Amino acid sequence: MTAKKNRPYLFIAFLFALGAVMPVLLRQYHLNMLTEIIVFALYAVSYNLLLGYAGLLSFGHAMFFGMGAFTVAVSLIHIPGLSLWGAIGLAIAMTTVVGFVTGGLLLRHKGAYFALLTLAFNALFYAVATKWHTVTGGDDGLSVTRPDLSLGFTTISMAGLTSFYYFTLVIIGAVIVFCWYFTQTAMGQTVLMMRENEERMKFLGYNTNISRLILFTFTGAVAGLAGAFYTLHFQFCSQSAISVDMTTTVLLMTFVGGTGTFWGPMMGALVYVVLQNYLSDITDRWPLFMGLIFVFMVLFIPGGLTQIIQSIRSLFSGRNGTDKSLAVKEGSS
Amino acid sequence: MSDFPVFFLHGLAYGGLLFLVSAGLTLVFGMMNVLNFAHAAMYMLGAYFSYTILQMTGQFWLSLMVCPLLLFVIGAVIERFLLRRVHVFGHVHELLLTFGLAYIITEVVKWVWGNFPLAVNVGGFLGGTVEIFGITYPLYRIFIFASAALVGIMMALILYRTRLGIILRAAVNDSQMVNALGFNVPLVFMGVFAFGAALSGFAGVIAGPLLSTYPGMANEILIDAFVVIVVGGFGSLGGAVVASLIIGELQSFGVLLFPKLSLALVYLLMSIVLIIKPSGLFGEKQ
Repeated sequence: MTAKKNRPYLFIAFLFALGAVMPVLLRQYHLNMLTEIIVFALYAVSYNLLLGYAGLLSFGHAMFFGMGAFTVAVSLIHIPGLSLWGAIGLAIAMTTVVGFVTGGLLLRHKGAYFALLTLAFNALFYAVATKWHTVTGGDDGLSVTRPDLSLGFTTISMAGLTSFYYFTLVIIGAVIVFCWYFTQTAMGQTVLMMRENEERMKFLGYNTNISRLILFTFTGAVAGLAGAFYTLHFQFCSQSAISVDMTTTVLLMTFVGGTGTFWGPMMGALVYVVLQNYLSDITDRWPLFMGLIFVFMVLFIPGGLTQIIQSIRSLFSGRNGTDKSLAVKEGSS
Repeated sequence: MSDFPVFFLHGLAYGGLLFLVSAGLTLVFGMMNVLNFAHAAMYMLGAYFSYTILQMTGQFWLSLMVCPLLLFVIGAVIERFLLRRVHVFGHVHELLLTFGLAYIITEVVKWVWGNFPLAVNVGGFLGGTVEIFGITYPLYRIFIFASAALVGIMMALILYRTRLGIILRAAVNDSQMVNALGFNVPLVFMGVFAFGAALSGFAGVIAGPLLSTYPGMANEILIDAFVVIVVGGFGSLGGAVVASLIIGELQSFGVLLFPKLSLALVYLLMSIVLIIKPSGLFGEKQ
């Protein structure tokens, strides 16, 4: 039993170790791509907490991502001498507030109505970002330079890609682990059970509305953090960060990776970014291919890549190769 | 306020167009409980088909007949071969499917027709002007409002005054029972979805000459149609009528009175409705 319980921790340690040696193995171009993958992995993980765990289909997750991205860009430009931590902290604070307020409005509805409202709100944020030219730069976007990282006793220059890569790996890796830990807590399990049978949870005395609002705010803040790193990585932020396309992106990543497990969306982010890089070299029509892949998966492989991997596993091992410790469905039925 | 009648008429025209788009959306949702994210993409497809037909023949009336038929066929195929397949997986998958289809249709449109606006001219007597309230006004905008009113009345008559309407409304309430009574419910649903698609195609043809035809037109109208549905109430045809006119006038007078805030007004209205009456003005309590 202990060996099984340790498996996720070993897996996490393995991923960190793998990430730590990557700068030695990869060239600049690929390391750049890997940083992008890590940022989008966090974004996808936060989205999956909504879609996979709570069963809430949101078409407005980009408003948090974009809000985080813009907060970092705007605050770095307008507040002189702001530290890296300060900018990231501001982004998280902003998205937490926005998540709480919009969540209070949006979560009055469920299902299709919720999906529709989130899309409408995303459009509102996009319109503001486009029209409010003096602050957001409108169509031109905002360029920023990464400030140095101060650790109290020493400062590390963030100008180079390698140092920023390690910073991203440590911070985002830690937050992803925290998200995973969150799903194991009583709160995380509450969300799962609410999806399965909300009436029963209400009868058991849980305030499902508050739990849902907390989850929505939490995922919003996490997506905001991902957005903050997006700006820091590209040292640029444009309105595309807050557009509905950015929601489509995270939806594709999450769904292609598989909403059934915690780790699936991270794999989806990897596949998406790699595919995007190579397909866009071959053809201008790569969004069309991504769309076709997506619809094909909705129709035939609703479990995403995780489902494929699990069925291959069970094919080889001859048993139902579902790893309980990684499965979302745990404790639901 | 000499501009008042002009802006009022502008609002009516845009409200009429909004009704044509949101009527199909709300009909499909009310009947099948499917929120069709691809609805606006089909509307765009209608506008582009119309552009091509006008380029080839120059006959506006012809495209007004043909495009809805094409969209009817496309809608029937989507329902029969795609939507019905994911129905068993539940609600989220239906939404994801229509969202994916909207994405694909937009990309195909960019591929075939290019990523730039296309100008559509009606020509003929519809391109002319008319004297109304003592001002000269484009006849085409009056035509939009008139056709929206005609479609609205026809839909209401079919739903509430015919045998088909009774079957439709019964199928919403209890599709299994209607099926057991010997009516082909899956066929009815296919027809409803295809009719919704045809309606969006019709709206697309109408929208072409009014707004420009470009790949972003789908998302633009989709948001407004969603606001109409939220304000009017989900699945309510009467609500769609009232809300379309309100939003149309709000957009029109917003530009006149508060040019910088015109966009915010619509969202403000939506937020107020959400706070005070979450089910919408005419929606039933969920």
